[in-house]
Amino acid sequence: MSEKLYQIVSNVFNVELSKINDETSSENLEEWDSFNFYVLLDEIENKFNIKFNLDETLEIKKIADFKIILEKYGVDNYQ
Amino acid sequence: MSSEKKLSFFINESKSLTESNFEKNTRIAVIGSFTLNGLAETLQVKCAELKIFSHIFTGGYNQYNEEILNPKSNLYSFKPEICFLLLDTRTILGDLFFNPYDISNNDRKNFIETKFNELANLISYFSEQSQCKIIISNFVAPTYSPYGIVESKTEYGLQKMITDLNSKLLDKFKNNPLVFVFNFNGFVTNHGQNNIFDYRQYYLGDVRVSLEKIPHLANELMSYVKPILGKNRKCIVLDLDNTLWGGIIGEDGFNGIKLGHNDPIGKSYIEFQKHLLSLHKRGIILTVNSKNNFDDAMKVIREHPNMVLREENFACLKINWNDKVSNLREIAQEVNIGLDSMVFFDDDQMNRDFVISAIPEVLTVEMPKDPSQYVPTLLKLNDFNITKITEEDKSRGKMYVEQRKRTELQKSTNDFNEYLKKLDIKLSIKNANEFSIPRISQLTLKTNQFNLTTRRYQEEDILKFSSSDDKIVECVKVSDKFGDNGITGTYIIIKKNNEEWIIDTFLLSCRIIGRGIEDIMMNQIIEKAKTAGIKRIKGQFIPTEKNKPAENFYKDLGFKQEDGFWVFNTNDTIKKPEHIEMVKNE
Repeated sequence: MSEKLYQIVSNVFNVELSKINDETSSENLEEWDSFNFYVLLDEIENKFNIKFNLDETLEIKKIADFKIILEKYGVDNYQ
Repeated sequence: MSSEKKLSFFINESKSLTESNFEKNTRIAVIGSFTLNGLAETLQVKCAELKIFSHIFTGGYNQYNEEILNPKSNLYSFKPEICFLLLDTRTILGDLFFNPYDISNNDRKNFIETKFNELANLISYFSEQSQCKIIISNFVAPTYSPYGIVESKTEYGLQKMITDLNSKLLDKFKNNPLVFVFNFNGFVTNHGQNNIFDYRQYYLGDVRVSLEKIPHLANELMSYVKPILGKNRKCIVLDLDNTLWGGIIGEDGFNGIKLGHNDPIGKSYIEFQKHLLSLHKRGIILTVNSKNNFDDAMKVIREHPNMVLREENFACLKINWNDKVSNLREIAQEVNIGLDSMVFFDDDQMNRDFVISAIPEVLTVEMPKDPSQYVPTLLKLNDFNITKITEEDKSRGKMYVEQRKRTELQKSTNDFNEYLKKLDIKLSIKNANEFSIPRISQLTLKTNQFNLTTRRYQEEDILKFSSSDDKIVECVKVSDKFGDNGITGTYIIIKKNNEEWIIDTFLLSCRIIGRGIEDIMMNQIIEKAKTAGIKRIKGQFIPTEKNKPAENFYKDLGFKQEDGFWVFNTNDTIKKPEHIEMVKNE
């Protein structure tokens, strides 16, 4: 899951894959602005075929938070 | 509809665009009542695909009133050529969106009347101040009503409020060449309100067109950008077997091909042809490019009871065993139209790939395997749009058939001058007037080959020139024994001073080049100049990729080169073709 997730983040923000990790957030990545975050959300939902609810969405501050939600929806580490 | 790329693709792609290797530049403003992020980037990439570099201005969030009303706003200093004003029903209705029945039906009527007037005044003001093309979206009628099913029994209900506002907008701007009403409601219907409006995205970031649909919206907006910037296409090139009918005529035979009302496949082809015919009737040129025995295929076109398109609908029929690329080039030459004006339909992937690699300027349509999808594929193309349909457009199909007959006469006459005499060409030159101005502008926007300066003018430019004392705008109507070609040439003269006139624009539609019309036009200019006591006429030839046919025009008529201009002394004599009859100017 991590790799697929990082790949999506890298594509949406147009930054190198190596710069993406669980701690990546709007604090440390310039490209992560509010609008790009919506685009990212949309992409992740489409690629994993799930829909986050509003609460969950508002909880997301860094990449690790995406993982927590994805796991909750049953996306395992090997997907 | 799903073939559109994702928004993140456009956002990233737009970052790598630099202002070089483009044919054109434009300035597009996008302003409106909700979050419009992503639209600018998508438009930029879509323009770049057409070799247009676009500077894009995105308005502040719901700042459109201030931006339009303040002449010092960033919107005006940006100087847009095209402006999209996108508004939504929630914004215009305010709290009435939720409770339209809090007020009486009379008050609802007055409310809409007031909103309409505000909006109409705003747009009219903007139009006068900016002179740019304005495209305003209409409003999406809510599918929800607090009255539920009784909505339909309610006097001036929620639905009616919005449809009324929309029709008022249409009426107001129907005859304004600068303002277009974009059918946003139609766009939403097409994609589905539930797909366009995502409540979560709306609460999160006031996104009112879901991110997934932004590229589709941009595509709709490109329907305006293409014709405004002269990037529309004019000619459809069609394969026959499995494109216009099901099956292969050479194998299945006249009675074996699928083209009938009682068979689902045959019906798909009939409807595809019907839509093609309707495009043809508003001016799109149809041609055939097919690998077949000529006689087999022509028998279907001429005699099959269910064929919709007939011989008289095609400006050119290339039915032979040559490769598709050579045929396409020949069609372009015979119809006298640029390859970048053509759209190619062929069910065969190999043929398509060949054309894509050999002539990338031609738009090769990705045809679906399933013929039931041919119609939606055709209807999705937004490349045939024009901003105004002139009388010439409607009769263009007929004109191309007349052209075919001329070619046949030419082939049967050995001597070219003899042929010209037999044509009985009649020509009249008139001042621009309200009827010809749209066509004159269209000619300056579309004519590439016999165009000495390739200056592009919008309708309002021509209107301004024609009412100015120091300019002459005239147009040429040509007819011959085969039919009427309509207005096919124009020139714009600048009266520089008492001694000198300058030819700002001089052009002739490609379908009448080479019949001496251009010489008569120049004769007319020179005679006019002499009468006005003018000594010298100056013109320029500005070379482009396409205007080689006009390259030697000045030289051949005896103009002399002088400081980058071609100059003619009005005391000199100019050759005048004898085979053309001038009809008295009306």
